[in-house]
Amino acid sequence: MEADPIREHELMMTRRQFFGRARLGVGTAALAGLLGPAFSAGPNQGTTHHRSRAKRVIYLFMEGGPSQHDLWDYKPKMREFAGAELPPHIRDGQRVTGMSKGTLKVMPSEYSFSQYENHDRGIWVSELLPHTAKVVKDLCVIHSVHTEAINHDPAITYIQTGSQIPGRPSLGAWLSYGLGSENSDLPSYIVMHSQGTQQGTSLFGRLWGSGFIPSNHQGVIFRGGEEPVLYLNNPKGVLRSQRRHQLDALAAINQEHYRDFGDPGILARLEQHEMAYRMQAAVPELMDLSEESGSTWKLYGEKARTPGTFEACCLNARRLAERGVRNIQIFHRGWDQHDNLRTELPAQCKDVDRGCMALITDLKRRGMLEDTLVVWGGEFGRTAYSQGEYGSDSYGRDHHPRCFTMWMAGGGIKGGITYGQTDELGYNILDGDRNPLVGEHQPTKHHFTPGAVHVHDLNATILHLLGIDHTKLTYRYQGRDFRLTDVHGHVVRDLLA
Amino acid sequence: MKPLFPPALGISLFGARRLYSSFSVFIALAGVAAAAKTPKPDFAREVLPILSDKCFVCHGPDAEADELKLTHYEEAVRLRDGTQAINPEEFKDSLLLERIADLEDPMPPVDEKPLIESEREILENWVLSGAEYAKHWSFEEPQRDARFNSVDAFVKADLRANGLDFSPEADLRTLVRRASLVLTGLPPDAESMEVIASSQDPYAFDTFVDQLLQSEGYGEHRARYWLDAVRYGDTAGLARDTRRGLYPYRDWVIQAFNDNLPIDQFITWQLAGDLLPDPSLEQQVATGYVRMNPTTNEGGSIPEEFQAKNNFDRVENLGTVFLGLSMQCARCHTHKYDPISQTEYFQLLAFFNNTAEKPLDGYKYDLPPVEKAPRDIADWKRFKQLKSLGSTLSGDQVLELAEIECRMSTTLVAEEGDPRETFLLERGDYLSPSGSPLQPGVIDAIGRMPNDAPRNRLGLAQWLTAPDNPLVARVLVNRLWQQVFGVGLVRTPEEFGLQGEHPTHPELLDFLALEFQSSGWDQKAILRRLVLSKAFRQSSARRLDIDDPENRLYARGPSFRLDAEVIRDSTLFAAGVLDPFMGGEGVKPYQPPGMWESIGHRKSNTRVYVPDTGPKVYRRSIYVYWKRASPHPMMTIFDAPNRESACAGRSRTDTPLQSLALLNEPQRIYSARTLAESMVDSQETDEALVNVLFETLAGREANQTEQIACVSLLEKTKSAYLADPSLAESLLEIGEGQRNETLDPVEVAAWTQVIVAVMASDPFILLY
Repeated sequence: MEADPIREHELMMTRRQFFGRARLGVGTAALAGLLGPAFSAGPNQGTTHHRSRAKRVIYLFMEGGPSQHDLWDYKPKMREFAGAELPPHIRDGQRVTGMSKGTLKVMPSEYSFSQYENHDRGIWVSELLPHTAKVVKDLCVIHSVHTEAINHDPAITYIQTGSQIPGRPSLGAWLSYGLGSENSDLPSYIVMHSQGTQQGTSLFGRLWGSGFIPSNHQGVIFRGGEEPVLYLNNPKGVLRSQRRHQLDALAAINQEHYRDFGDPGILARLEQHEMAYRMQAAVPELMDLSEESGSTWKLYGEKARTPGTFEACCLNARRLAERGVRNIQIFHRGWDQHDNLRTELPAQCKDVDRGCMALITDLKRRGMLEDTLVVWGGEFGRTAYSQGEYGSDSYGRDHHPRCFTMWMAGGGIKGGITYGQTDELGYNILDGDRNPLVGEHQPTKHHFTPGAVHVHDLNATILHLLGIDHTKLTYRYQGRDFRLTDVHGHVVRDLLA
Repeated sequence: MKPLFPPALGISLFGARRLYSSFSVFIALAGVAAAAKTPKPDFAREVLPILSDKCFVCHGPDAEADELKLTHYEEAVRLRDGTQAINPEEFKDSLLLERIADLEDPMPPVDEKPLIESEREILENWVLSGAEYAKHWSFEEPQRDARFNSVDAFVKADLRANGLDFSPEADLRTLVRRASLVLTGLPPDAESMEVIASSQDPYAFDTFVDQLLQSEGYGEHRARYWLDAVRYGDTAGLARDTRRGLYPYRDWVIQAFNDNLPIDQFITWQLAGDLLPDPSLEQQVATGYVRMNPTTNEGGSIPEEFQAKNNFDRVENLGTVFLGLSMQCARCHTHKYDPISQTEYFQLLAFFNNTAEKPLDGYKYDLPPVEKAPRDIADWKRFKQLKSLGSTLSGDQVLELAEIECRMSTTLVAEEGDPRETFLLERGDYLSPSGSPLQPGVIDAIGRMPNDAPRNRLGLAQWLTAPDNPLVARVLVNRLWQQVFGVGLVRTPEEFGLQGEHPTHPELLDFLALEFQSSGWDQKAILRRLVLSKAFRQSSARRLDIDDPENRLYARGPSFRLDAEVIRDSTLFAAGVLDPFMGGEGVKPYQPPGMWESIGHRKSNTRVYVPDTGPKVYRRSIYVYWKRASPHPMMTIFDAPNRESACAGRSRTDTPLQSLALLNEPQRIYSARTLAESMVDSQETDEALVNVLFETLAGREANQTEQIACVSLLEKTKSAYLADPSLAESLLEIGEGQRNETLDPVEVAAWTQVIVAVMASDPFILLY
């Protein structure tokens, strides 16, 4: 092939731009472009709107709506109301789902709570979470998260994408779009589905999907078992050395095509083939737990050896975080106890309790907790009143949007505190003077209410900790600059360390 | 209804048809002194995008009555507190100029979107040259540019203006492949390629294009784009994501395109087939469009809430698919940028609010109203044939028709039910209806509803297809252009409003839109015109003499990565395993186990993916079962949307997952093996076989680099397999279908690897 100096130069420039960007880890990141010339990145700061407090996030999503009454929001006074009709002034005209019919009888938690020391006035934790209780000094437990949605599909779509109606990018996709990746061998946004005891409810691709932003920002699912990433393994009968030869042939063909057509996309694809090849080595290395020490197994427990368990997912999350993956989400299903709460809820807790503790402890031991944000919670809470026959073995609780408990830890979060308070029945959020925020005072997405954390506020705060201003991370689609937080959301400063 | 922008004074962005009222002429004269020196920016192309993007957030259509609106002239010159944003007496004394130049307290404020210097300059020039307003281009009816009468004339004029000309025509083989992929989503077969390549007929390509337009693959390929736009899926999409009956709608779309059903009727049938006099079965099946919104029956869902949400979805899909407008803003408040009031949103919604189906789907496959329709396309064809014979059917034919009817499938359709009152919902909240009930109505700024049009979905369709609707033909023609050239003339195919991109070739877009309408909405004619144009036929190699990376000038031919479906279908086609069977229930080719189980609801009837076997799994991808919560990974990995909401144009990304899928997915390995078996059975040399391979996959012989790369890969692979033949055996076990045991496994396995690599290479997966 004859040398063509101009073409060669062009090729080099394109390559330099491409690989240069890829090396900086912002090959797909938006911030670099969005911030404009006024922005200057400090050392080790990456390209963010402000100094980030967390370099990465591990989001433990409890799909279905864990019962705050039985886990976190201790209401001893509820016993006095046990079996009584929910007082109308408490219900405050709240719409209830089509499943709550007839009388709404107050159902106090049947589980005992103990008080644990934290960095505040102590915190009450249910006997169902004995392991998590050990790390409360690192947790910021928020009792006052609220949402408008009262059914799973809209609610989980809302908290994950900022809209109840499908079609928008997920939180993880926004982070991938905003932050790019630190690791050139692994995807920037990884999703795991932990296989627990209940598989009663559904997940959707949209929860980690990219909506209208380019689809390379969608979450990549890491699955339990032989092939953690779809189509990761070479077909049987194809050796890694042979794959190398295949890729070399492919590269020669593609480079020739580039020479003829000059489309820089061809170079981009060349790099993706190489990344795939590296991923084929990086993922098995990641999943190979043989190097983990005895203390790891002691911490996470033997269940962590079974792929797909929550503990295994947590251990993987830590290993991914160590390798520079910034954006990790574990979905644990089955927290939808409309009935059979007595059997299902303890099982759900048993699924996740130890993993949560182990992850926090592990990150802390490794000095990673300070720049890793860990988030735990579901799409809404559950009602103070029972569903099904009151007090029967099969009783449960319905969906409750007005307040529910989530916790955050690590990366820039004030650990060892609780935030937000709810009334004696755990039904409404209270203001600082313990007045119920009901009627026209009910917190909404439209205004920030101190003490209350709307799901948009939660997402704004998560982005903030990762160095992103939620009002500035936008993507233009259909002529509008869309944001994760729509036109709402406030950073909850009281949660920040 | 009170018009949002009273057209009384004639100079409104949205309301009036003519720009130059006597008033504005007077204004223009008053500004003449300044205008003499000041370049006058094009309002629609240069000024309005700035106003919309930077100013309308506060001074747009939804500004309060006592606040400054910059949406039209009368508002901009109105005296407020003794000042005027634009001073028509002395344009240079306009407050707007002062404020945008104010360094300490600039407009827009620093925490909004500040103006950049070039924008400030345009606004200044605009005000100084008379501050003339015009309508946003897409709300004006398309105008014919009398100077030109072909696609190429428009493109060439633009090239000339930049001192350029078209690239030379691509070689015929490239062109044949390109046209075939664009029109049918499949590569040409070797025979057609040879016939054309060796033909002396100067019109051989034209003839070939006509053949492509007549082929069944044409409608299958076109339908795929349509299904993306209307969010077709085989499942409900929400909650348990259960099965539901709609695939006869998909089969109808394919046939409608193949039959070249005029697109105005294509639209009308989908929106209102049931309201046509004595509707045919096809017309009723087409109304599946109205039923396409995701539905739920999640425990505890409140019917009124989903009656509202289902309708939001319909209005917003209609906006994107036909009008190229985002309606979503107007659900909660008057649109910030476009002339769509919240009242109009709910008037539009009222067209859909009376449909008969329940708002919650009961997790049913056949939530009424439903129809029974032929179970696949062969049955459809025969059914229509027999029906057209009317009462002259023979005894056997009566029997045959009965058999077809007996094996029909259920499909969801639209029908009018009991009327419901429609209210404006404050902030889009179904719990906050406000005012008095609204009658169905259309958007004032966009065409007119014909006087005799009924106030129902049929009238809605008449509004969309009326000759004076400025958007529909443009929006649809733009998407056809996008299918052919990879990008639209408007590069934001989902957004033709003020915030969308201006067309690269506005006069060409108008020309095509008018041609489309005047040809009787003939889609094949438009595509034929595009594919036969010089713009399409030129070489797609990058030009070093032009800095135009996005090809906005069309100084080279199209070039893009093929879509998911085309990649899969081309692979099956090249291997000779594509099953040509058309229509029928969605098929389930192999996918990695556990994908549905890991997300599916315990009680969902789509919790477990049971792969099909036999030829079904090699059908075209348009027939692959579409579970909205988890579409087939070979689709989503290559940028297919999940079909929960409208997609007017897919993103095209490059990811490592695509590399893994291209090189490891079992159906691809199987396809490569099948092709390998057909090749090694001959006595040709390796070099000759590499040529055969490239002829099959790229429509041409291999070049020297490709020859060397392939032969070298073949040799290395062979030596590894000779060292351990059991490896070759394991590779050949992948996929179903009988192996040809008479062939040397080492040879077949080595070729399989070569073919897999070439099938993953850019000459195969790109259009160029």
